[in-house]
Amino acid sequence: MSEVTGLLREPWEHFERQRGAGKFGIWVFLASEMLFFGALILTYAVCRIEHMDAFAAAGRETNIWYGTSNTAILLTSSLTMAVASQAAAAGQHLRRLVVAGLTLTVAFGLAFLVVKGFEYKEDLDKHLWPGAQFALHEPGAQLFYGLYWLITGVHAIHLTIGIALVGRLALLGHLKKLQLDENPEIEVTALYWHLVDIIWIFLYPLIYLPGRVS
Amino acid sequence: MTNQNSASASKRPTTAWRLWRRNGVIWAALLCLLFLSLGLAYVQMGLFTPTVGIVIAFIKASLVILLFMELASSKALIKLAALAGLIFVATLFALTLADVLARVGGQ
Repeated sequence: MSEVTGLLREPWEHFERQRGAGKFGIWVFLASEMLFFGALILTYAVCRIEHMDAFAAAGRETNIWYGTSNTAILLTSSLTMAVASQAAAAGQHLRRLVVAGLTLTVAFGLAFLVVKGFEYKEDLDKHLWPGAQFALHEPGAQLFYGLYWLITGVHAIHLTIGIALVGRLALLGHLKKLQLDENPEIEVTALYWHLVDIIWIFLYPLIYLPGRVS
Repeated sequence: MTNQNSASASKRPTTAWRLWRRNGVIWAALLCLLFLSLGLAYVQMGLFTPTVGIVIAFIKASLVILLFMELASSKALIKLAALAGLIFVATLFALTLADVLARVGGQ
């Protein structure tokens, strides 16, 4: 009893109720996030249907190695996040495993941003920012890159928020200032992290794979 | 009641090795699917090439949602919340594409 009462917050009287409410709340938020990114991806789909060849040419200009490495990095971060979350939920004093999982997740998240930074640098060097200096001649290619910068940018912001949230838990866990066993904060943060990974899973074939056959 | 939930009480104690093994299998499947979709992107299959990429993305997302996010073993209320998101996104796509695809076909 004493272990979880430390995690109980107003206005809940029972820990299980609090945990259930938190989980339900984050899933409702994630559903709204699905709609947010869904609308962006739908815009991409409509533009692609109207500019098939231009989108193939534009997709070919993206760096497939940066894209594939970053997908692998995020998938691996989801593994470490899932292990941390399940280890905490088990409530069997797996503190070191939880802290290690959280720390690795932050490291993979930062690695993703570093790779993305190099990729953005290369894109700018290749004049793939829409505007007068734009490298490709097909009119629809600017639409592709307009959406590319917007969607990957918004995704990177989401990931940065995720890194801050997971980093906070890792730090507090490391300093032993936070009870990790059965702490619903870890589960809720993990769910958010996985959603950011899922968004990228869909972005990968849409951004990096078009136009590879020719 | 509150400190011992029924799941952990009925199962054997969770160990680090068990957690890494269980989730590692899912991770390996995800990476295989990633490389499969990378390889298939270079195969000429007409309109099926982009379709395959998106279908593989759906399989990967399902693995993450059902197993990493543990939706498969979540309560009905949680499943309903997730399903609500999916249904609204599907409606958004269905209604918009019904219009757009009809126009493209009519040209």
